[in-house]
Amino acid sequence: MERAKVVFGHLKSGQEEYHRLQKRLTFEKHFVDSDDDVVIVHALRTPLCKASRGGLKDTYPGDMLVTLFSEILKQTGIPATMLQDICIGNTQQVGAGEQVSRISQIYSNIPYTVPIRAVNRLCSSGLQACADIAGSIKAGYIDIGMAGGLTAENVASRFNITRQQQDQMSLESHAKYNYTDFIRAARAQRNGWFDAEIVPVKTKVKAKDGQEREVLVSNSSQLTDGAAMVILARRSFAAKNNLPIFGIFRAYSVVGVDPTVMGVGPAYAIPDVLRKAVDDIDIFELNEAFASQAYYCVQKVGIPMEKVNPKGGAVALGHPLGCTGARQLATLLHEMKRRGKPSYGVVSMCIGTGMGAAAIIEYPGY
Amino acid sequence: MEQSFQMPGRHGYSVRVSPYFGHRLACASSQYYGIAGCGTLFIIDVTPEGIVLVTSLDWNDGLFDVAWSENNEHILVTGSGDGSVQVWDVAQPRVYGIDWSQTRDNDLILSASWDQTIKMWDIMRSESLASFSGHEHVIYSAAWSPHIPGCFASVSGDHTLRVWDTKKPYMAQIVIPAHEGEVLTCDWCKYDQNLLATGSVDCGIRLWDLRNPRQHVSQLVGHGYAVRRLKFSPFQGSVLASCSYDFTVRIWDFKRQKVPLEIIEHHTEFVYGLDFNLHLPGQLIDCSWDEKLMVYMPKSLTPLP
Repeated sequence: MERAKVVFGHLKSGQEEYHRLQKRLTFEKHFVDSDDDVVIVHALRTPLCKASRGGLKDTYPGDMLVTLFSEILKQTGIPATMLQDICIGNTQQVGAGEQVSRISQIYSNIPYTVPIRAVNRLCSSGLQACADIAGSIKAGYIDIGMAGGLTAENVASRFNITRQQQDQMSLESHAKYNYTDFIRAARAQRNGWFDAEIVPVKTKVKAKDGQEREVLVSNSSQLTDGAAMVILARRSFAAKNNLPIFGIFRAYSVVGVDPTVMGVGPAYAIPDVLRKAVDDIDIFELNEAFASQAYYCVQKVGIPMEKVNPKGGAVALGHPLGCTGARQLATLLHEMKRRGKPSYGVVSMCIGTGMGAAAIIEYPGY
Repeated sequence: MEQSFQMPGRHGYSVRVSPYFGHRLACASSQYYGIAGCGTLFIIDVTPEGIVLVTSLDWNDGLFDVAWSENNEHILVTGSGDGSVQVWDVAQPRVYGIDWSQTRDNDLILSASWDQTIKMWDIMRSESLASFSGHEHVIYSAAWSPHIPGCFASVSGDHTLRVWDTKKPYMAQIVIPAHEGEVLTCDWCKYDQNLLATGSVDCGIRLWDLRNPRQHVSQLVGHGYAVRRLKFSPFQGSVLASCSYDFTVRIWDFKRQKVPLEIIEHHTEFVYGLDFNLHLPGQLIDCSWDEKLMVYMPKSLTPLP
């Protein structure tokens, strides 16, 4: 804050200006901290790779989960026995996702006494898993839990949307949007802004282990393989066990929208969860299922473009359905941490069959 | 004709015209008002059809000042918030990180830093050639004399203007308590080797004759907030332009009148960067925290027919 102080020093003659600038630079708290807050202890993800052809195509979905389970527990030092519930978002897995989740858990040496379940809300499954664990903590069922998401598309050809339809949807004006997205993602990658959030996954493929993921210029997010994991806990529990507080899960909202209009969910879910000015949010991780719908939502809600997906969104990175929400949460929190300033961020996505979800995440800066 | 260039998410800190091409500009900018985040160096061309981005180069911290090389059209130097000086080759983008910030150059580069020293660099060498100490606060600007070899001036938050000889880095040759507030900017008159102007947080601009530094020769009052940068006109000895935290750019002729010839109010934020175009008489370029860079011909500078 030394730089801010120097600039303030230049404005001695103007108290009004001083306060104006100060308001812009300081963090205005909109939520009161409480012992019952749901805090995020840590968030990680695997690389995202093109489905069917990408670096993770021959990786068993369980392998990604096992890697993340092990790595997140290792990085936080949380004993597996401490976990009281696990919830995994998925969309495509056999046995409604329960089977692969449970097997991965056992393989990761998380004892069978820890319960696990799977949840499916299509594109927001990963975020819904976080919200479910957060809800259980809020309700008092558990003190700490793990949430995540997984997508391995090596079975899938979903939705009857043809490439032609997607192309039509991408109006010319969105080309610029796509371009910006790739530039941002490439810059973030080059500068190593993803390093903290990505866990490499060992895979049997010869491909360069997913770190060097290929990016396809297209007007929609690619079908993608990947997984992400988040540990959530009650603040009092985290404090008692000396767990780090990486972020705070402040609010969650899911709304239904007209199923005949593709992708407008965030335009309704964001105002619903915010109930406040967009000004107070520093970063919006808005899932780009399609450039057109993301562009529409940004315009509709009136979000300044520089606040949207600063590290690139799904058009560049990919959209692993089951994991996206948790992936965005990891991307968001690590970016807020990199910026180093207490702030609020929003994670939002549209959901197949006509829904939208959004969550407010606070980075407390300590 | 007025043209503007938008820098989304970037707040302008300094703008300079290439000494080689009158249509080529460089603008040093920062994210989040330079308080946090990264920086971008924009290289742009002014064309009759509008302003065109030639290239933009990113740095991991805010970029606060920029200077073109006087001996190579492709080379630029920037000073940044992380304390390093970057040398950019626009023909082949590549960065050499060196040490500390803010610049102006003939053959050598000066960097004025928050560590209360000025360092002199040769871009071919990675160590500084000399370190000038004496200022007791942040140094905001250092400027080579366009007339006297090895001479430069510096201004600081310690309220002083100091004039240095590169052969004597251990102490300033002249120390002038210039203002009643932090001094943020200084520039040399292009037509009188003894004349210097300073701009300060006390909102004033003062002119100094180095032969008699005890008293300023003139004072220009009008800015509502701190004067962030000022530049002498390369075409008229008594004309200078200043930009300020009061969102305005003012043009002055200190020989004619004490009030500004013109007040330009096209920005909605602090105006930080300012430069005259040496190749095009009457053209002024400025940049501001409102993410906008303006290229324009102020009425008061338009050459008489």
